Amino acid sequence: MKLSFTLNGEEVEVAAETGALLVDLIRDLGLTGTKEACGVGVCGLCTVLVDDLPVSSCLYLAACVDGADVWTVEGLARREPGLIQAFAEHEGMQCGICTPGQVVAAAALARENPGATEAEIREHQAGNLCRCTGYQTIAASVEAYLAAR
Amino acid sequence: MPPADLIFSAPATLADALGELAGGEDVIAMGGGTSVGLLLKNDLLQPRKIVWLARIPELRRLAASTAGELALGATVTLRELARSAAAGRQFPALAYAAGRVGNPRVRAVATVGGALAHSDARQDLPPILYALQATVRIQGPQGAREVPVAEFHTGFMETVLAEDELVTQVVIPAVAGRRAAYARFTPGSHDDYPTVSAAASIVRDGDGRITSAVLALGGVGRTPLLVPAASGLAGTVPGPHEVQAVAAAAEAAAEPYDDQRGSARYKKAMAGEWAARVLRACLDPGAPPVPDLVAG
Repeated sequence: MKLSFTLNGEEVEVAAETGALLVDLIRDLGLTGTKEACGVGVCGLCTVLVDDLPVSSCLYLAACVDGADVWTVEGLARREPGLIQAFAEHEGMQCGICTPGQVVAAAALARENPGATEAEIREHQAGNLCRCTGYQTIAASVEAYLAAR
Repeated sequence: MPPADLIFSAPATLADALGELAGGEDVIAMGGGTSVGLLLKNDLLQPRKIVWLARIPELRRLAASTAGELALGATVTLRELARSAAAGRQFPALAYAAGRVGNPRVRAVATVGGALAHSDARQDLPPILYALQATVRIQGPQGAREVPVAEFHTGFMETVLAEDELVTQVVIPAVAGRRAAYARFTPGSHDDYPTVSAAASIVRDGDGRITSAVLALGGVGRTPLLVPAASGLAGTVPGPHEVQAVAAAAEAAAEPYDDQRGSARYKKAMAGEWAARVLRACLDPGAPPVPDLVAG
């Protein structure tokens, strides 16, 4: 099927198999910042924004983005340089595997609840698993980003 | 993986969606796709066609009547329910339950209708909808019907819905003086399924005498469980002894299984404990707050 949507602010038109998952469509377009790890919507590595809301692209049918506005970590890094800056300054990463998902989740939070408290930040990011940092520096990164906006 | 020749349809009207569903049992309805996506990906569902309901305006409506009744369209998302001012004001325990499902990615797309039709007893919404005595509106080619939510689930992933029927709306009645509570007990991570969940509602007359009491449990059976013993509180001004007796009945009614969220024995004990906590939260608005429990 043919899909028309905006991807990181640019109009795209692509042919996709009807049963294709969004994560595969995005990666096939060369945007490999979005990753599939658990494959069951739990770990958060595949997080992208669809119409400003975070979704697990590993479970989301690509067919559902026809007409939608999709942002991946690549586009958000350009759109929200302060977000990347905050993660860098507060060392919100260690091995880096979860980082794209953490960043996209944080961008979603900034829109949903820009004045989020530390507890709310932690609750929001709880759907994005990190096995390195213990989450302290991730929470600090997101807090700094929200404060600086 | 989903088959390459899968047909995907996003009808704009309920009539079109029902027409497409009438095409046979290998046609499935999808709300947010959080469950359908998972089942498709693991070849547990192999439909010929998916009918996506999220583009049907009348199913997207969340409406509060002046009388206080809340009507939730089938594809209102859990995020929308959790953030709804009307839901938060009139049914805070329901809004809380919606806001605690999974993670933000799930709540952004998962729907009220899906939360019922998927029929997994660990889901957060059913117990509080049971306690609030919601009505499920269903539509099929033969017309519309209504089912009390406590009669909707018939087994694990099984409901009263026929293959060609859809949940169109869930209606929560306004009951004067009713106080309800929902609690989800998750000893693991915040975004996990509850090990046990419990919901209750209580209505009292001017003398403090109970006129209606409902108690429901999640995660401890093939379906959400209604605990009939709670209705025995009607006519009483209950004290700790009466609450404990209903909690004991809840523990006895629970039929959990062992898994990584707890042993069956542990879950049974927790069903009793959390049943007592939600009942106390309904009875005593001044009680100290309990983590993971919201009443109002």
